[in-house]
Amino acid sequence: MNSTLILSIAAEARERRDARHDAWFRRLLLAAALLVVLALLGAALATLWGGREVLFGQGLDFLASSRWDPVAGEFGALAPVYGTLVTSAVALVLAVPMAFGVALFLTEVAPPWLRGPVATAIELLASIPSIIYGMWGLTVFVPFMARIEPALSATLGRLPLVGALFQGPPLGLGLLTAGIVLAVMILPFIAAVMREVFSSVPRELKESARALGATTWEVAWHIVLPYTRPAVIGGIFLGLGRALGETMAVTFVLGNAFDITASLLMPGTSISSAIANEFNEAVGLHRSALLALGFLLFVVTFLVLLAARLLLRRLARREGTG
Amino acid sequence: MTLAVLARPAMPAFEAALPATTTASPAAKLAVRRLDFFYGASHALKGIELDIPARQVTAIIGPSGCGKSTLLRVFNRIYAIHPGLRASGEVLLDGEDILSPRYPLNRLRSRVGMVFQKPVPFPMSIFDNIAWGIRHHERLGRAELADRVEEALRRAALWDEVKDTLGRSALALSGGQQQRLCIARSIALRPEVLLLDEPTSALDPIATGRIEQLIEELKSDYTLVIVTHNMQQAARVSDRTAFMYLGELVEVDATETLFTRPGKRQTEDYISGRFG
Repeated sequence: MNSTLILSIAAEARERRDARHDAWFRRLLLAAALLVVLALLGAALATLWGGREVLFGQGLDFLASSRWDPVAGEFGALAPVYGTLVTSAVALVLAVPMAFGVALFLTEVAPPWLRGPVATAIELLASIPSIIYGMWGLTVFVPFMARIEPALSATLGRLPLVGALFQGPPLGLGLLTAGIVLAVMILPFIAAVMREVFSSVPRELKESARALGATTWEVAWHIVLPYTRPAVIGGIFLGLGRALGETMAVTFVLGNAFDITASLLMPGTSISSAIANEFNEAVGLHRSALLALGFLLFVVTFLVLLAARLLLRRLARREGTG
Repeated sequence: MTLAVLARPAMPAFEAALPATTTASPAAKLAVRRLDFFYGASHALKGIELDIPARQVTAIIGPSGCGKSTLLRVFNRIYAIHPGLRASGEVLLDGEDILSPRYPLNRLRSRVGMVFQKPVPFPMSIFDNIAWGIRHHERLGRAELADRVEEALRRAALWDEVKDTLGRSALALSGGQQQRLCIARSIALRPEVLLLDEPTSALDPIATGRIEQLIEELKSDYTLVIVTHNMQQAARVSDRTAFMYLGELVEVDATETLFTRPGKRQTEDYISGRFG
């Protein structure tokens, strides 16, 4: 009788202790999650606060003007925003098909002994610091581009519509060069995600398509890609997020001209490279304008990710599986 | 229909009564000759000789790893999409060797259909699941294509359940419906041979019953080969049964004969549940 009483008291104490530990553990997890949100909010608010003079002083002018003249105290963000969006778009246009091909090769075509080494090589590409890409871009790739740009102007430049993208003197530096360097940088991220999800496609799904006579391409395009579409889009936006914010490599090869030109062969600037170039010697209103640019990068990135979310939700609804 | 497989009295083995394989018969739709199969260095099928008669159901049974699925996967050369797999010997489809590199793959895949263990609808609408394979092989007009899709779904006993939702994603169907969709997808190409690789092992008993009934119905037009680890199923649906063990074809006979008077000791041990 006595001993069972002691046992039940001990069990009760243990229950209470477990409940207490559990509560603490949950608080710890909540704190970890909150810390991330706080850090994000803090960074966004700090740039907003730092850029308040320009953001609220010039208001819409800051967003709508492309004049950037620190001496005259005029700051318009249009050119850097344009440069950021264009270089990222060029990077995506080049990197996505390439990553698709690499991922398909690795999951569907390559013999097993080749898959590991190639996958590792692609991951290594992702681990190269961006400053290295910048130096390689400036010393190797820019002269190379300067040599082939006349050929681009003479061929693609003659086409209607897209021709306007390939006009101007062969400087080597410019939006196209920056876009290509960015493409190389984001390729491994997109390819890694695609490879991962492509290899998760059930073997029987691919085999039953092949059993109907389908070719490798038909299986890839009609079966593998639709089956993995949400994750593939997620991977593409992961790459886009990196391209939007990339600083060093772009700064080296973009040319740093606050111009908006239709031609991809002309130099331009981007949000992050404008900040990197000018922040050291910026004071007063100039400094505020650069911080406001930083805030703008937050906004642009946020909008892009939001668009990705909406796109995914719409796809899921249309397929009736989300 | 049902055979008292397990309640069968012990039988003396007719070791010498029947040869392990029958000789070539003119009615054989598929004739396997001296077939060897290798996964890299491992020898998975050893000297298989087997005739599969037209418009009948042939079941292949045997313990896991005996090579029954491997054998089935030779019949449409689906194994060839994986590196390192190799078959030698002959598999004659109406007298032509399908293992020959000269045998066109598209011709083979449209004549020999295959249904897999797991129901795997393609990530597209029910209609497109059926139409996709047809489009690969034939250029058809809209109305003609719709007719072919309907015909295939009717043959697979699925039409009445899906005729109003053809545009919906096939992923929303139940497991049993998905498997009948996969059968419809295969017969939409109007094949002559239909290979079924444990087609009901992922389904509940009711869905299994419907598939078995369907197999019975399809027999009048198609030559069916079914791999199953379920001996009762083999006894229920098949006309002939082949027993495989360790990569070899032990014996093949009329299903009733094989289950009541097996010619080999190994067959008897397996069907009476002594191993496997």
